[in-house]
Amino acid sequence: MDPTFRAEVDALAQVLDQLDYFGILKLPQNAGVADVKAAYHRESRAYHPDRFAALPDPVLRDTLGRIYRRINEAYTVLRDDAKRKKYVADLAGPDRAKKLRFTEADEVQVKEDQKKKIEEQFGQTPNGRKFYAAALADIEAQRWDGAERNLKMALMYEPQNAKFKEQLASVERQKPKVDQFKIR
Amino acid sequence: MNDDIAVGIDLGTSYSAVAVMLQGQPQVLANEWGERTHASVVSFLEDGTVLVGNNAKKNIITNAENTVYSAKRLIGRFFFSDEVKKAQAVMPYKIVEGPNNAVRLQVGQKIFAVPEISALVLKEMKAIAETALGRAVTKAVVTCPAYFNDNQRQATKDAGRIAGLEVLRIINEPTAAALAYGFGKDIRQKICVYDLGGGTFDISILEIGKDVFEVLATAGDTYLGGDDFDDRIMSWLAEDFLAKHGLDLRQNKFCLQMLKEAGERAKIEVGRDGTANIHVPGICQSPEGEVLDLSRTLGADQFNKMVMDLVQRTFKVCDEALQSARMTAGDIDAVILVGGPTRLPIVRSSVRHYFQKDPMTGIDPDEVVALGASIQASALLNLGAAEAGQASYLLDVTPLTLRVGTVGGYAEPIIDKNTPIPIEKSKAFTTSRDGQDRVKIRVYQGESKRAEECELLGEFEFTGFRIGYRGEVQIQVTFEIDSNGIVNVSATDVETGQKTSTTISLSSGLSEQDIQAARDKNAGVALAGHKAA
Repeated sequence: MDPTFRAEVDALAQVLDQLDYFGILKLPQNAGVADVKAAYHRESRAYHPDRFAALPDPVLRDTLGRIYRRINEAYTVLRDDAKRKKYVADLAGPDRAKKLRFTEADEVQVKEDQKKKIEEQFGQTPNGRKFYAAALADIEAQRWDGAERNLKMALMYEPQNAKFKEQLASVERQKPKVDQFKIR
Repeated sequence: MNDDIAVGIDLGTSYSAVAVMLQGQPQVLANEWGERTHASVVSFLEDGTVLVGNNAKKNIITNAENTVYSAKRLIGRFFFSDEVKKAQAVMPYKIVEGPNNAVRLQVGQKIFAVPEISALVLKEMKAIAETALGRAVTKAVVTCPAYFNDNQRQATKDAGRIAGLEVLRIINEPTAAALAYGFGKDIRQKICVYDLGGGTFDISILEIGKDVFEVLATAGDTYLGGDDFDDRIMSWLAEDFLAKHGLDLRQNKFCLQMLKEAGERAKIEVGRDGTANIHVPGICQSPEGEVLDLSRTLGADQFNKMVMDLVQRTFKVCDEALQSARMTAGDIDAVILVGGPTRLPIVRSSVRHYFQKDPMTGIDPDEVVALGASIQASALLNLGAAEAGQASYLLDVTPLTLRVGTVGGYAEPIIDKNTPIPIEKSKAFTTSRDGQDRVKIRVYQGESKRAEECELLGEFEFTGFRIGYRGEVQIQVTFEIDSNGIVNVSATDVETGQKTSTTISLSSGLSEQDIQAARDKNAGVALAGHKAA
């Protein structure tokens, strides 16, 4: 094996646990999707275990295996928009040192966030969903009073639902202004 | 050192092949009779020798109870699985239950684990290579369907070891095929490998950039293959015979084998010539003692109607793979066909229609996998290849989600399917009782949230960590999937960093002692039909 490469491997193995995924793939934080893939292919060419399968030294093979597994781990997170977003946010946070590796718990959280987002679209509670669906039908038919009433009902069940609040605001904007005290 | 040699072996459900790199060119090795593919059939003869290959296939009828075929359908499965029950109904050999719900095959008085049977096929491949090359062969890359789970991969690897081979790597059949096509051709594109074998169907989508073969997604059906096409013809023949003579050929295992052979021959004929004349003289005797013949003609249209739903099923799997890779059929630059059944015009035209592209068929679909495996085998041996820029890198993925069992019969995901391998992931577990000294986890593979619908890989028990109050002791369990797609589980005590000891119970696999014993047994078996070495 090339001595410079050998030195590189040893140096990388030393700092592996201090590097974030961008460091492992040798990428800037703003790298695009194509860059991530190109970097992954480049690092694979250098560290793929097949290259070293015939190496006699088992310790060195282990080290190389550890590096390559980390490269795969980095790629898995950075190629996925949702995971990458959370990972980058975690890195910017105060716990950076603890967040260098994307854990199974982080993954669960990403999945939950995605689920929550979908639920927010349609409502999280049965009653919330029912009133929200009714409100959408009212909006479709331009029955603004009905829509407003139904959205307010939906918000009673899900006071935190951002999507519901947003819809209510838009209904209130669209509703024709009438002076409540005017005698028609 | 450079004198070393490694072969690539395609261990198929119905047929196997062996190839090697010679002077930089992969080539399939033929046996003494010039046969390049060999039936994966093992026939135990009365003199104690074992016949493997196309000659053994002839014994399926005459020596039915002592002849084992399609063992790959049973490898790495639990005795209670549907596939095993199905096999019990149709196979002439005896399938019995072994320890830990494992499958054992009974031939005469002898009991074999399924990997032992596969090991005999591998031994034959090894013998063919040794005869063709005139030297000893001890190292090999063995292929398996991309959709094989950990149990099946482990069992395949065990089979290699039992046959006295050092298995350098287990690689996926579609990936091997891509390697055979892409080797040295410098193509940069997205390709789809459509691999319809004897018993399994696999689809892999790869992105090839020069020397890097990145698998983007893989999907498959381990219950779908050419055998199912044969079954359709068999049922058609049997129903017709039943209506005519009032006798059900499927009730007699001897008749069933003749029927099966007729079905397979008819499938090949109808695919090649557009029509098949089926004629089996003396297939059975009527109660009155009259000898009955089976005679029918099968046309292409009729055959296509019979199997259309099977072909359509493959495209559901294609949809799934494309969706995982976030692509549509239009994004695919080239389609590679692998496996004998892809010769059928109905399959070809359906693939062409689905991808709107003529599939590539430059390399024999029966040999392409073995060729790819031999390329990989030679690359793994040759340390200098990488420096010389001759190597190709396979970036493969795990086909199934790795899960761990939780309370209430659920299984939560740890490593998602289509994650590049090798990879590792850790999860922390805590003790739930005061003074608890062992933690048990069950590991599964599959796409269902319910544990019972996934495949159990094994139960792992960790001991040797600190003992404390409940919730105080944390154990970090690391799940690793290696380059072969085989799962390893280890655990450490978070606080002390001490590795805990791990024992595996409830696994369908063979223990180290079993393998050693089987290896000795295998080495003592003489292969029939070879000139004495």
